[in-house]
Amino acid sequence: MSETLSPPSARAAIEQRVEALAMQFLMNGEQKTDSRQWSEALTALSEAADAHGQRDIASLAREVAGQVAGSAADPGTSEKTRQCLEDGISRLQEALLSAGNAPNPDAERPGKLSLDRELIGDFVMESREHLNSIEGLLLALEQDASDMEAIHSIFRSFHTIKGLAGFLELEYVQQVAHEVETLLDHARESRLAITPHVIDVVLESTDYLNRWIKFLEVSPFAEVPEAICRNKELLLRVLEAGKGGGPAQTEPIPLDLDLDLDLDLEEIEAPPSSKKGPMVKEVVARAAALSAGPGADPPAGSKRSTASRSVKVDTEKLDYLVDMVGEMVIAQSVVRHDPDLANSQKPQLVRNLTQLARITEEVQRTAMSMRMVPIGPLFQKMARLVRDLTRKFGKQAQLETFGEEVQLDRTIVEELADPLMHMIRNSVDHGIESPEVREAAGKNPIARIELRAFHLAGQIVIQISDDGQGLNRTKILAKAVKNGLIAANVNLADAECFNLIFQPGFSTAEILSDVSGRGVGMDVVKKQIQKLRGSVDIQSTAGRGTMFSLKLPLTMAIIDGLVVGVGKERYIIPIFAVREMLRPTPDMVSTVEGRAEVLMVRNNLLPVIRLYERFGVEPRSTKPEEAVFIVAEHDGRPFCLMVDELLGKQEVVIKSLGKMFQGVSGVAGGAILGDGRIGLILDMQGVFRS
Amino acid sequence: MKASAGNVLEDTRKAETEVRAGKYLTFLLAREEYAIQVLKVREIMGIQHITTVPQTPPDVKGVINLRGKVIAVTDLRLKFGLPETGYTQRTCIIVVQLQGESASQVGIIVDEVCEVLNLVQADIQDTPDFGRGVSTPYLLGMAKVKGKVKILLDIDHVVSAQEIHGIEAILNHQAE
Repeated sequence: MSETLSPPSARAAIEQRVEALAMQFLMNGEQKTDSRQWSEALTALSEAADAHGQRDIASLAREVAGQVAGSAADPGTSEKTRQCLEDGISRLQEALLSAGNAPNPDAERPGKLSLDRELIGDFVMESREHLNSIEGLLLALEQDASDMEAIHSIFRSFHTIKGLAGFLELEYVQQVAHEVETLLDHARESRLAITPHVIDVVLESTDYLNRWIKFLEVSPFAEVPEAICRNKELLLRVLEAGKGGGPAQTEPIPLDLDLDLDLDLEEIEAPPSSKKGPMVKEVVARAAALSAGPGADPPAGSKRSTASRSVKVDTEKLDYLVDMVGEMVIAQSVVRHDPDLANSQKPQLVRNLTQLARITEEVQRTAMSMRMVPIGPLFQKMARLVRDLTRKFGKQAQLETFGEEVQLDRTIVEELADPLMHMIRNSVDHGIESPEVREAAGKNPIARIELRAFHLAGQIVIQISDDGQGLNRTKILAKAVKNGLIAANVNLADAECFNLIFQPGFSTAEILSDVSGRGVGMDVVKKQIQKLRGSVDIQSTAGRGTMFSLKLPLTMAIIDGLVVGVGKERYIIPIFAVREMLRPTPDMVSTVEGRAEVLMVRNNLLPVIRLYERFGVEPRSTKPEEAVFIVAEHDGRPFCLMVDELLGKQEVVIKSLGKMFQGVSGVAGGAILGDGRIGLILDMQGVFRS
Repeated sequence: MKASAGNVLEDTRKAETEVRAGKYLTFLLAREEYAIQVLKVREIMGIQHITTVPQTPPDVKGVINLRGKVIAVTDLRLKFGLPETGYTQRTCIIVVQLQGESASQVGIIVDEVCEVLNLVQADIQDTPDFGRGVSTPYLLGMAKVKGKVKILLDIDHVVSAQEIHGIEAILNHQAE
C-alpha cells in the first residue's frame, strides 16, 4: 500500500502544493505566463515529493517542468506553455488521486456544481423517490405489460434523474439513465414489448442508480469507488434489450411471474420474447384492450396525486412543533385547573375553556400524525425482494399486501426494513417448498406470501404469512437439544418451541445458502423489533404455513408508561416491561446471605431491586410491606423493582436528556409530566444491571 | 527562536483580548462577581423544580423543562467548590448556549444576577498566575470596573465536553 510509504500528512502536503500550483495557474492562466517561474516551482515540487518519498509524483513533476522549460525555448508561444502546464497539473492531480488517498474534493472535480452538498442532498432525495416509484411501477408493469401509463411514468422518472444527474455532472448516472430512457422510449412507442427480460434490465439499472445514490448520500466528496463506476456491461445489456434481444446465456432463466393475468393474456405472453414486428404490436394492442377493462390498476394513479400535494419539511422543525404543542397542552391544562377558573360559575368561560381543550387536543393529534408515513413503500420493496428471491431459489411465489395505507412513525418504518427483509427471505428460502414438492403435496405450485398491516389495540400489527411447509418442530427441538438450549426430555408448548428460533446461532436449514440460514437471522430480527419496543410471535402449522406477527408501537416518540413515586421523585416505567404489580406481605420477602433480597411470587423467587438504593433517593419507607413491587422483565428474566407508590398510567413523549447524561445507566430519557415537570424514564435493563 | 515564540504568544494574547471585549452579564456567587458573555446567554429564569438524575456529580443538579426541552442544570457554587446554600428568591438559572457539535443548552445556577456590562479592552486583564496548584482553565480573564473585580468565565469550558467525559469517567470508575 502506498500509505506505508507515505504517511497521509506527507501526501497532504504534496497535495497542497499541487493545489496551490493549480490555483495559481487558474488565476494567472489568461496572462502571459513566465515559464521559468513555473518550471522552478515544479522542480521545487518534485524535490519536496522526493523528500516525502513520493517518487512517482516527483518524476512526473520533473517531467512537466522539463516540458514547460522546453516549450519556453520557442519564444512567444505562451499558449503552448499554458497547454503544457494545464496538462501537467491535471496529470499531477490525477496521479495523486489514483494513489488511493482521500482526495481533496476540489482536486477531484475542480469547480463543478457537484460539489455543492445541498444540491447533492436534493438529488439524492429526489432520485430516491423516483427510483422507489419506478420499482413499484415496474412490478405493476410485470403483472400487466400493457399499462402504458406506467411506462410513461417510468420514462418520465428516468428522464428527470437523467436531467438532474447531467446538471450535477454525474456522468455514470446520466449514461445509465439515458440508455434506459431510450429503451423505454421504444416501449412507449410500442416498438418494443415489455418482456420479463426488459423489466430485469430496468430493475438492474435502478439497482445501479440506487448504489450511486447511497454512495452520494454517505460520502459525496469521496473518491468514487471503481465498483460503481463499472456500468459498461449494464449499458450493453440495456442496449441489447432495447434492440429486443433476449436474456444473455449466463442469466438464470426467468420464471414467468405474471400469475395474476387472465389466461388469455398469458397465452399471448407465452411466446418467446424475441418476437418482434407486427406480432409484438398485436400483443400490445390486445393487452391494452384487456387492461382497459374493469379493475385496470387504479391505485398507481391515486398514489401519484397524493405525492404531488405534499410538502417536504425538515424533521427538526417537526420535532420542535411537537414539543411546542406538548407544552401548549400542558399550559392549557394548567389554566383549566387553575382554582380561580375551576370554581368559576360563568358558563361562557367554561364553554370557551372546553373549546380550547378540544382544539389543543386536535392540534396535538395532527402534529403527532405528521411524523407518520404509510407502510406501503416498504411493502413494495418486499415485493421486489420476493421477485428476486423466487428466481434465485427456483421457487414460485406471489406476494400479496394488505393495509398499505397504515401509517407508522417514520423511524419505525426505516428500522423495520431489515427485519422484514430477513423474515421474507426466511419465508422464501425455508418456508416455501419447491413447485414440485408443492404439487406433490396437493398445493398450488405457486406459493402465497402475505404481508398485512393493521391496527390492533393501539398498536400496529404486521403479519408475514406464507403457505409453505411450516416450522418443523422435531428439527427445532433436535437442534435446540444439540446446542444445549434445552434438555432432551423437556416437553415444550408450540409457542415456546417456535421461540427457540430466536436464539442466537439457531438455524435448522440443512444447506446454508448465501441469503439466509447462516443462523444469524432470527435473533437479530428479534433484537431489532425489541429495539423498536415491539414484539414478535410465531404461529405455524406443519404443512400449512407459518405466520410471524410483529406488534409495534404507533410511534417511537410516545411511550405508554407507569408513573411511580419514590420519595419526592417520579419515574416512568415503560409499560411493555411491566408484568404485574403487587404489595407484598412481610413473609414474601427474604434475604439471601443477608444481602440480596428475593421475593416469592407464586412459588417463583424473583430478585428484588430497591429503586431508592440504586438511585440514591430518600424513600418514604424502607419496609417492603409499605411499598409497591413491580415485577418487570429484563431479557426474559423477571425481577422486582421496589417503589414507594403507583401514581398512574400515562402516555408520555420521550425526550433525550442530552449528551451530559449519556453515561447514566438505568435512565432511558425524560418525559414531561402533566404538571410540566420532568420525570425520568427508566431503562429496565440498566436498572437491573447497574 | 525563543523571541519569536514569545511574539507569537503575545499575538494570540492580543487577539484574545480583542475577542474578550464586549457585553457581559454579571452575577454573584458567594459574594464574588462573575461575568459571562451576553451572546452565550439564552434565558434567565427563577429557580424552579429540578428533577434529579442519579449517578451524576454533586454539582449536576438534574434536568428542567424549558418549554418542552430537557435541559441539564449545574450548580456553579458546587462546581467551583464553594459552600452550598439554600436557594432563595434571588437564585437564578441562567440558560447558556454551548458551542460545539451538540450545540446544546445548559442551565447554571447562580446566587443572583446583577447587570449587563459593556467591557472594553482596557478593562480586561489576563488572569494572574496563582502559582502552582491553582489552575484556571475556565477563566477568560479579569475585569476591573469602578474598583471592583469581575471574573470573566469561559462558560463553554466551565460546562464542556471534558466535563461530560468527567462524568462518564466517574461512572465507569464506579461500575468497575
